Amino acid sequence: MVSLTFVVIAGLASLHFLLHVGFGLGRGAPDLLTIGLLLAAREMRIGWSAGLGFGFGILEDALSVLAFGANALTMSLVGMAGAATRELFVGDSWLFVVSYFFFGKWLRDFVHWVLMGEELRRPFTEQVLLQGLTGAAYAALAGVVVLVVTGFSSES
Amino acid sequence: MAVLGGDFEIGGGRRQVVLAGVFVLAGIAIATLGEATQQRIAGMLRGSVLRPFVAMQEGLAQQRTRAGSVDQLRVRVDSLAAIVTTQSVLVEENETLRRLLTLSERLGPDFRSATALRPGTSGSESIFLLDVGTDDGVHVGAPIISPEGLVGKVQDAGASSSVGIDWTHPDFRASAMIPGADVYGIVENRRGAFREEDRLVLTGTAYNEVVLDGSDVVTSGLGGVYPRGIPIGTIDGVADSQGTWRKSYWLRPRVLPGSITHVLVAAAGAGGDAMSWPDDEDGGLEPDAVRDSSGSGPDGNGS
Repeated sequence: MVSLTFVVIAGLASLHFLLHVGFGLGRGAPDLLTIGLLLAAREMRIGWSAGLGFGFGILEDALSVLAFGANALTMSLVGMAGAATRELFVGDSWLFVVSYFFFGKWLRDFVHWVLMGEELRRPFTEQVLLQGLTGAAYAALAGVVVLVVTGFSSES
Repeated sequence: MAVLGGDFEIGGGRRQVVLAGVFVLAGIAIATLGEATQQRIAGMLRGSVLRPFVAMQEGLAQQRTRAGSVDQLRVRVDSLAAIVTTQSVLVEENETLRRLLTLSERLGPDFRSATALRPGTSGSESIFLLDVGTDDGVHVGAPIISPEGLVGKVQDAGASSSVGIDWTHPDFRASAMIPGADVYGIVENRRGAFREEDRLVLTGTAYNEVVLDGSDVVTSGLGGVYPRGIPIGTIDGVADSQGTWRKSYWLRPRVLPGSITHVLVAAAGAGGDAMSWPDDEDGGLEPDAVRDSSGSGPDGNGS
């Protein structure tokens, strides 16, 4: 089960870069990297989850010369937060799943916005509220689709 | 939903917390590294793990370029041929005059064609990847242009690829002028409430200069970063005025960064003048408008 999860996570990471970089879809494609990290965080211990977040984040940073390191730090924190939620919630309902992906992605955008620095970041309304919330909804939808397609949802 | 609530060890112990702290500290450390080191790390990752994805976008962009309208390309070739033909006499005359004045030959910039690729990831909105690098003579700070005008400059150059920024980047600045009007200033980015509202503004112009809406703004060549005569945009109203001594003007940019797929990057000799800009059907600058402040003529050689 664990190995299948990590195959799915590796697949999501590859698909993320394929859609965003390979096909150049930008925001047209969901943030599968964050979805993969949030999924992994529920399976991994907090340290390894932060490590995976760091790895994912630095790959995104390599494509951005604006605020190098901001994605690595953000994803490390999101990985930690995702792993920490296991102590607070043992989710099994669709409401939890949707909320988990939604708030996880929104938190990722918010922390990244904070870490980008005043000179580089867009206004809060645009980047965190408008794009952040729509991106979070898109990620939650994509996360649910991933769970359904991979069959994880039927294993409860 | 086993994945979201399955077997796990709660907490993970102190070692796990320390490990998480190490990764967070590593994140902080790389964010505070020097720019050169950061670029080296980014370049290594782009050239290894991310290379297949970047190469794929390069391939797709080249396919799109090849699939472009032949008619449109023919029109452009015809326009360029017309310009080259009419300029050959001027070039010869220029060379003769320079020889008479015992002036050395004036070198213009040498451009390399490149494909611009958008990473499409968080925090990479104002940057694009180029498939040319230092092996092609491209260097940091080299101007990037498109058939419409100035796109931006090279921010980081690797051996075979480089990273460019467009005019929506907060660091973008270009020394500019209005040909024939003797108005000089600096063009910079003014951020709007939304990315779509980002605009260019011409600042630092004298208050008493009369600048008409629709006037073309081109690079002035001052500062040696951008060659003179590259179109940037057209005047689109007064932005603000400081007292009674300085005015700023909004610009309507010639280049829309989102539409950029194919660009030219200056390889050497970024100073000097851009030769006459092609008068294409996409709204290229009128040849007469590319004129230096001394009114030397449409070739823009200024000598």
